[in-house]
Amino acid sequence: MRYVDEFRDPELGRVLATEILAAVEPGRHYKFMEVCGGHTHSIYKYGVDDLLPENVELVHGPGCPVCVIPMGRVDDGIAIARQAGVIFTCFGDMMRVPGSAGSLLEAKAEGADIRMVYSPLDALRIAKQNPDREVVFFAIGFETTAPSTALTLKRAKAEGVANFSCMCSHVTIVPPLRALLDSPDLRLDGFVGPGHVSTVVGARPFEFIPADYGKPIVVAGFEPLDILQAIRMILAQLAEGRCEVENQYSRVVPYEGNPRALEVMAEVFELRPHFEWRGLGFISQSGLKLSDAYADLDAELRFSVPGVRVADPKACQCGEVLKGVIKPWECKVFGTACTPERPIGTCMVSSEGACAAYYNFGRFAREREVV
Amino acid sequence: MRVERIDDARGLALCAAEDGSKSTVEIALVSVEPGDRVLVHAGVALTELSTA
Repeated sequence: MRYVDEFRDPELGRVLATEILAAVEPGRHYKFMEVCGGHTHSIYKYGVDDLLPENVELVHGPGCPVCVIPMGRVDDGIAIARQAGVIFTCFGDMMRVPGSAGSLLEAKAEGADIRMVYSPLDALRIAKQNPDREVVFFAIGFETTAPSTALTLKRAKAEGVANFSCMCSHVTIVPPLRALLDSPDLRLDGFVGPGHVSTVVGARPFEFIPADYGKPIVVAGFEPLDILQAIRMILAQLAEGRCEVENQYSRVVPYEGNPRALEVMAEVFELRPHFEWRGLGFISQSGLKLSDAYADLDAELRFSVPGVRVADPKACQCGEVLKGVIKPWECKVFGTACTPERPIGTCMVSSEGACAAYYNFGRFAREREVV
Repeated sequence: MRVERIDDARGLALCAAEDGSKSTVEIALVSVEPGDRVLVHAGVALTELSTA
C-alpha cells in the first residue's frame, strides 16, 4: 500500500534501531514524550519500544482527544441527548466514555436517540433528513478535527439548517504542552510532535518548546519508521547540542500548516477563557467555543445543560497517565476493574488512549528486551 | 485517499481509499485535482500528500 508499506520495512527499522543505539550516551537516561495518541497506538501496535535501547524511555502525552474530555462534559451531553425531540450525534469513541452516571451508550440503551457519526457532515445530513427534530453534534478533538466542525457549521449556516447545533468541546494542543513543561512532576528530554494536528497548525506553534524550555521537538508521522526516525533526529539534536523544531513528517505537514483551515477556524471559533481537561484540571485558553457569529448554532446556548464539574473516580489515575507521570500498568485499576470492555477512565476507552494501547497489545509490566 | 471526481459547485470530491471503498469528502481546505492523494480526517481533506 503506497505511503504505508515503505514506512513499515523491517530491514530499515533494524537500521534505524542500530543508529539509535549508536546515538545514545551510555549511562544517560532519555525520556521522550510522544504527544499524540496515534503515536502511542503505533508504538505498541508495532513494538517500536522493543527496538529502543533500555535507556530510552517513551512517555505518553495528552494528545488523545477522547481521553481529555472530563466527566462533566459527558454529563452535559447526556442531559441534552435525553431532551425530547433531540437526536444527539457523536464520534464512536465518545459513546463509551463514562460520565458520573453512565455513558452515552448507556443513555442510548435507555431510550435516548444517540447516533454515531464518522464526520460532522453526517450529523448535518441527519438534521436535513429530520427537519422536525433538533440534531446536536458533540464536537471533540484537537485542531485536526476542528476544521471539519467549522466547515460543517459554515455549511449549516449557509444552507439555513436551523435544527442543527453543536456542543463544542474542541481543544488546542499548545496550552497543555506548556502546562506539562511547567509541571515539576515531569522531566523530559524531548518531544515526538503531533503529526496530524500539525497538518493544520504547522510546526511553527511548537517553536516555544526549544525557545522557552530548551527541549527539542520533531513532528513525526505514524508509521513505525516515522517514529524511529523522529527519535533518531531528537537524539541527533541532543548529541550535537542543537535544540529546535524539526519536521520528520514533511510528506504531509507543511511547516506553516494549512492557512485555509486556520482561517475557517478563526471565523467559527474563539478561545474559552479556560477549559477543564480530564485529569489535568483547568487550563487557560485551551478550549474552543463558537464565535458570536455562530452563537445561534451553539447547543449549550440552545439547551439547558448542568455544567457541573465532576471529580474523576478516586481509583482512576488517568490524570497521572495523561501527564506521563505513571505508566498505564502502574494504575491501581488497570486491567482489573478498568478494561476496554468496562472502562473506568477515558484512557482505556479510545484506541488512542495509552491504557487501551497497553492493554490491547499486551504491554504490561514486563522486562524490556535489550537490543 | 485518491481524488476521483470533483463537484466544484458543492466543494466536494469523490475519493477512493486504497481498499477501493469510496466516500464523499469536503475539499474546501485544499486545492486538488483528480488523481491527487489527500489526507482525510473526519470527512475533510486536510492536506495533499507530497511525493517528495
